[in-house]
Amino acid sequence: MAQHLVTFHLDDPALGAHAPLRSVHVPTGMLLTEAARMAGVEIAQPCGGQGRCGRCAVHLTQGEVRRRSTLRLSAEDVAAGYALACQSVVEGDVSVTVPPQEKIERRLTTDRVVAEVEVPGGYDARTLQTIQRVSVSLTPPSLDDQTDDWSRLVTALRQQLDVEEVQVSLPLLRRIGQVLRETEWDVTAIVESNPQAPTARLQLLDLRPSEPPLYGLAIDIGTTTVSCWLVDLISGKVVAQVAEYNGQIARGEDVISRIIYASKNGNSAEMQALVIGTINSLIAAAGEKAKVDLQNVFKATIAGNSTMMHLLLDIPAASIRLAPFVTAINHVPPLKAFDLGLKINPEAVIDCVPGVASYVGADITAGVLSSGLGDDERLTLFMDVGTNGEIVLGNRDWLVTCACSAGPAFEGAGVINGMRATRGAIEEVWINGETLEPNYRVIGNAKPRGICGSGLIALLSEMFLTGLLDKGGNLNSSLMIVEEDDLHFAPPEKSAGSGVSLHGQTRRIRQGEHGLEYVVAWASETWHGKDIAITHVDVDNLLRAKAAIYAGYTVLAERVGVPLESVERFLIGGSFGKYINVEKAVQIGLLPDLPWEQFQFLGNTSVKGAYRVLLNHNERERITQIASRMTYIELSADNTFYEAFTSALFLPHTDLSKFPNVANALTKT
Amino acid sequence: MPIEIPKDKWPGSVKTITLGANSDGGTRTSVVTVGGEKALPFMHFEAETPYRPAVAIEIKDRKPDDWSTPLSEAWGDAMNDPAKWARAAEAAGADLILLTLSMTAVDGSPNTAENAVAAVKAVLGAVGLPLIVFGPGNAELDNALLVPVAEATKGERLVLGICEDKNYRTIVATAMANGHLVSARTAMDVNLAKQLNILISDMGLPLDRVLMDPTTGALGYGIEYGFSVMERLRMAALQGDAMTQLPMIVTIGAETWKTKEAKVGEGVPAAWGEWRERGINWETMTAITLLESGADIVVLRHPESVKRVKAAIADLMVAA
Repeated sequence: MAQHLVTFHLDDPALGAHAPLRSVHVPTGMLLTEAARMAGVEIAQPCGGQGRCGRCAVHLTQGEVRRRSTLRLSAEDVAAGYALACQSVVEGDVSVTVPPQEKIERRLTTDRVVAEVEVPGGYDARTLQTIQRVSVSLTPPSLDDQTDDWSRLVTALRQQLDVEEVQVSLPLLRRIGQVLRETEWDVTAIVESNPQAPTARLQLLDLRPSEPPLYGLAIDIGTTTVSCWLVDLISGKVVAQVAEYNGQIARGEDVISRIIYASKNGNSAEMQALVIGTINSLIAAAGEKAKVDLQNVFKATIAGNSTMMHLLLDIPAASIRLAPFVTAINHVPPLKAFDLGLKINPEAVIDCVPGVASYVGADITAGVLSSGLGDDERLTLFMDVGTNGEIVLGNRDWLVTCACSAGPAFEGAGVINGMRATRGAIEEVWINGETLEPNYRVIGNAKPRGICGSGLIALLSEMFLTGLLDKGGNLNSSLMIVEEDDLHFAPPEKSAGSGVSLHGQTRRIRQGEHGLEYVVAWASETWHGKDIAITHVDVDNLLRAKAAIYAGYTVLAERVGVPLESVERFLIGGSFGKYINVEKAVQIGLLPDLPWEQFQFLGNTSVKGAYRVLLNHNERERITQIASRMTYIELSADNTFYEAFTSALFLPHTDLSKFPNVANALTKT
Repeated sequence: MPIEIPKDKWPGSVKTITLGANSDGGTRTSVVTVGGEKALPFMHFEAETPYRPAVAIEIKDRKPDDWSTPLSEAWGDAMNDPAKWARAAEAAGADLILLTLSMTAVDGSPNTAENAVAAVKAVLGAVGLPLIVFGPGNAELDNALLVPVAEATKGERLVLGICEDKNYRTIVATAMANGHLVSARTAMDVNLAKQLNILISDMGLPLDRVLMDPTTGALGYGIEYGFSVMERLRMAALQGDAMTQLPMIVTIGAETWKTKEAKVGEGVPAAWGEWRERGINWETMTAITLLESGADIVVLRHPESVKRVKAAIADLMVAA
């Protein structure tokens, strides 16, 4: 097959003229994104290479490609030589300039104050922990006793512990003889016992000359963020908490995009490598922070949504997105660190938390466990808000669950000036009802670069209450100041640098490229020197996201015949949930109009659940029961969800009587 | 054995709305009142149906380029002059006239406010019936044409349309200022209809000056869905939901005469029957079906359909 030379120029201002050229020979028919990967050039593909987001646009400086789609490019862009890398088929030699790629900035959870994690009361490593240290003294072999090393060790372990069977891996078996002789037959065995196994069985994980400290990891793989806690298994204390963006983000921002990307030929191994790379860098960071030798990490408990678990294990995930939406596996058997290439003790036990369904995964069972929902007699609604909203309703007697696709709008995607909650994100907004001038707070006290989820919720609510938006989410064009050219009469007072007029109109509402928009920050205030505005398209996307979530929990409650008002506790998990302003979330109809004290924000309940499972074998048993107790309800099975969705596509809701406090607030303004 | 027919007693009722005015600036010789239902359509044994559904005939400010041949045959030369056309419509039995403004003039240039006002005035001068005026269906042009029309006809209680969720403010504002009514159109969905009524009422226009147009499909083109949405809207109204208690208007002619069955005379199976009769049947069947789902005003295009639909209404209005 014909080979073509593809040359990439990196347009990186930091490198200037020294920016390297990277060339690669590829066969006819290869996509530019694949060629870039071969050349080691990073091109972000937030939509997973479907040609929908336009973020992989590159500039062709020489040669041509076959464009499968130019959906996201204007005619001028195409004429100027721009092409979407994920839609460009190489059919000849070509030179490409790659614009600077959006750096995926890290915001470790340490950016905000990390609360000390409380060790569960009554934690006793000797009775609850599955990882144990056992000191054994063996009688050295002699001409009278020629028992083999392994039998000698097994016999000694059996004498100390009530076990029938001891298992060991081949790599460890190879080292046993040497360790026993070096320690003069006096060793510490690191073992994993499984108290749930019908016959007492031990797994030998390591042999040490002396007692090492024992560490474990609780990991949550989120679609957006991976969180990792390093835990001292003896005291139960969390010694380090780290978090970082999931390395797969560049291959799709939501689970569907990632499944599509991973389902393409050969990409699934790359997806696995990306998330394992993220986990390994987190493990290294945690180890360094707590000064822990990673060879002493003997166990990792991992939770995450079903797609993330499949991609972690490199198990085909395609069936998750196709009807009838089934996973390949919900209960993953125990694995070893070396199976996945995790950089901890290679014999360490990897325990994957069980999930329920394609869209209700291990992160949710972990959330149910850590929130205590399954043990409480009070009727509780638990919701994990992210790109997907997962909802669990019930108490200690029953649990039902559902998932709704909210879309990534609240995570900043699908909103023109949206961004993740990193430095430079506007996270809180207030608007003056008289002047319609906004005030905002930015993460890290930096110049604003965009608006994150909590900022978008606040913005929506403030715009609604000040009349900038009507209940349908339309920007109020009558508040727009018409420029002098269009006027038949003298313009209202206009002062430089301000959007205010005397007539309650504002220059901040204007006709932009995408229709009407409201300017939150003028170019002079922002990091990139461009206005930050929210457009009517953004508002529509946000309304759809909030309507999906509202419809999700109302329909779930309806299905089981429980009025929403009888829900006694409303628990919100997900790192997104941590920073939402309840009042504003109620005002836009994202959360129901219940007394505020009923809402509780729990942060990352998934990693908390993994932590409890890591420490306590009884919790492991309980989470398996929780997973099997949860009844999954498919919302798309009939049209009640759609009805609830369209009635929630309004501010705060078509039926205002469901939001009495918002109705009050509206009559006051 | 005597059989007792079970009767539903509904807590709510549809608002009564009068179109057209004969005083305070109004020059109509007849007005049309619709609404006021306290039961599902034609359930006379449950509650009186105070006003019979009205039939409007749709005309345009100039001869349309895309209307089906049976329609141009039926109206003939009258289509070249809105005043004549309106008189012909009145003669054909219209209770009221719907005048749809064209997107462009005959030469292809955009329609102007002057043209629109002249056409509306001509129709008002020609007939004494109440008038509904729809813009061409482009938000910007609708606003540019309807505002001068509303101002030039202050007090006539015209119905102005089409208000949609993304473009209702200007039309509602001018209707409020000039004593007119509005027609609010939404895609076929109960919630969307309700939402638009809320938005309009939030602007301060009393709901007894709003007609709702829930959109419908012609026979064979989604009429079941349209029927169901209208039926659910009406039941919500009767159950007491104030935001759905508005009379409903449906543009049946426009929907019907764009279907292949009504529009195409050649190259269709012989079993479809005679073209003209088929088109009229299509329009009549669609209208009568939707009257049963609660339509208060049906807008038709063919004079023969008007005759048949009016006869059907007369029959339906007789209590058994």
